[in-house]
Amino acid sequence: MSLKRYLFSAFTLAEFELRKLRHDTSQIWLRSVQPALWLLVFGTVFSKIRGITSGPFSYRQFMTPGILAQSVMFVAIFYGITVVWERDLGLLNKLLSTPVPRSAIVLGKALSAGVRGIFQAIAVLGLALIIRVHLSLSLLNVLCVFVIIILFGMCFSSLSMSLAPIFRTRERMMGIGQAITMPLFFASNAIYPLSLMPGWLKAIAVVNPLSYVVDAMRALLVTGDFSSLAQDILALLIATAAMVTIASLSFRKILV
Amino acid sequence: MAESEIIVQDLTKVYPRVKAVDKVSFSVEPGEIFGLLGPNGAGKTTTIRLLLTLIKPTEGKISILGFDALAQPNKVRQLAGYVPQDVSVDGELTGFENILMYSKLYGLPSRGRKEAIDEILGYLELKVRAKDMVSTYSGGMMRRLEIAQALVNRPKLLFLDEPTIGLDPGAKRVIWELIKRLREEFGTLVFINTHDMNEADALCDRIGIMNRGKLVTIGSPAQLKASVGGDVLTLDSKTSGFADKVRELGYTTITESPNGQIDLLVSNGERLIPDLMESLKTKGIEVEAVSLKKPTLDDVFLKYTGTKIEASESWIETRRTRRTFRRMNR
Repeated sequence: MSLKRYLFSAFTLAEFELRKLRHDTSQIWLRSVQPALWLLVFGTVFSKIRGITSGPFSYRQFMTPGILAQSVMFVAIFYGITVVWERDLGLLNKLLSTPVPRSAIVLGKALSAGVRGIFQAIAVLGLALIIRVHLSLSLLNVLCVFVIIILFGMCFSSLSMSLAPIFRTRERMMGIGQAITMPLFFASNAIYPLSLMPGWLKAIAVVNPLSYVVDAMRALLVTGDFSSLAQDILALLIATAAMVTIASLSFRKILV
Repeated sequence: MAESEIIVQDLTKVYPRVKAVDKVSFSVEPGEIFGLLGPNGAGKTTTIRLLLTLIKPTEGKISILGFDALAQPNKVRQLAGYVPQDVSVDGELTGFENILMYSKLYGLPSRGRKEAIDEILGYLELKVRAKDMVSTYSGGMMRRLEIAQALVNRPKLLFLDEPTIGLDPGAKRVIWELIKRLREEFGTLVFINTHDMNEADALCDRIGIMNRGKLVTIGSPAQLKASVGGDVLTLDSKTSGFADKVRELGYTTITESPNGQIDLLVSNGERLIPDLMESLKTKGIEVEAVSLKKPTLDDVFLKYTGTKIEASESWIETRRTRRTFRRMNR
């Protein structure tokens, strides 16, 4: 199969994910409830406490990229459940009977998660604007943020998809998703800076892809300090490529 | 005659706890409607998945349209259409979108794509509902859409796994007519899995009967039914010495009850009855009632496996309920 058709197949899967979102936008709003709570409740309270040093920026400014990343991560990490669900329904059987290579299906599904992530991000950014969090939203910055979100969504949905053939049921995948997301969220710089962490937590945060994503988005949306941006994106690219590869290998066993 | 389109040799698939398919060999000829008949868990779905290269066999060879399915799975996938037992259309998309997605995945050229999809939807009488979400479709419409989806790449071979499961009799008949039309108009080779004897009888040119992973027998419905022994003719008469006189005429009696009822084993029963009545009359026998029982595929199944196919029916009910439940949850 030519590279052109390979990519075309993957993009087709993402295209129809987008169409599904267009038919039913309620999912985006429902999934915005949690980030809204973080920004409105947690953010408001912690701004008052002033326990976290966020430099010259407000705590809400500091945490918005973190909450943005978290909401994308939630969408992506539960993507493995969708795959198990589609397998149980029979949709996956049908998809696997087409000439589309397994890895292109994984890539397409990962891209779909990235696409969903973007719409989630738009909802969160909109919310941040409504509650007057000051963000630098130049076109270039926003486009860069979107690219990061796509990569990040691909990375975590692939992680989730690589676990699907191992855990096999929706219930277990649900448990795994929760077991992964919260620790990764707390072991990152999403809601407090690395400098506040004890040594052991910092050690985890440094290998946590979420930290790099948050750092990059914080640079783009808040601080304007691009000194570690290249490093962040490189780390994310490596993590994404690795996870997509692992998921493609693991995916061969999805039907047994 | 052209070469067989599907050749399967010693196909075996072993799972940790069960031998799902056990040394199955058969071939399917061009233009045939071929069916695998058997109860749930007989290994039919596993066989179809093996043929479609969805899973890899533990042992055995599969040749489809001249391609080695194990060495060139992509050739097989490009040429085959598949309607799985479970749902294969997405309720969150419209009917048109479901077909469009697959036409793209099969790499059909964008020029004339829309017309081709409209044609298929028209063929399956789904055009008026094409823009509606599939979640609003009835079971029979969903099935037709799934067939439309499987036809998008103009397959030479169409695999249907339990095509009418869970459909009402009317919708069933529509699907059967459709399958026959496909064969007649396009010469599509059709491979179906079914647990429904009537379906196998009404639709298939040849049937392979599967039970517990093994292919127990293969042949046309007529051949299979003939292999059971023939028709059973039941006669009622009050004339004394009735049974002996019938035997004198050269017939084989199977059972004989004291109240004057006998079962005869005959062939072509419906053609035999007038002659038999005539000769019984000349012998002075007054016949009160005649009934003829033609063998069914269930009798065939019973002969080869020792159990009735319906024994697993309760199982199928459970699955149907589960399927409905899934749909409700969409």
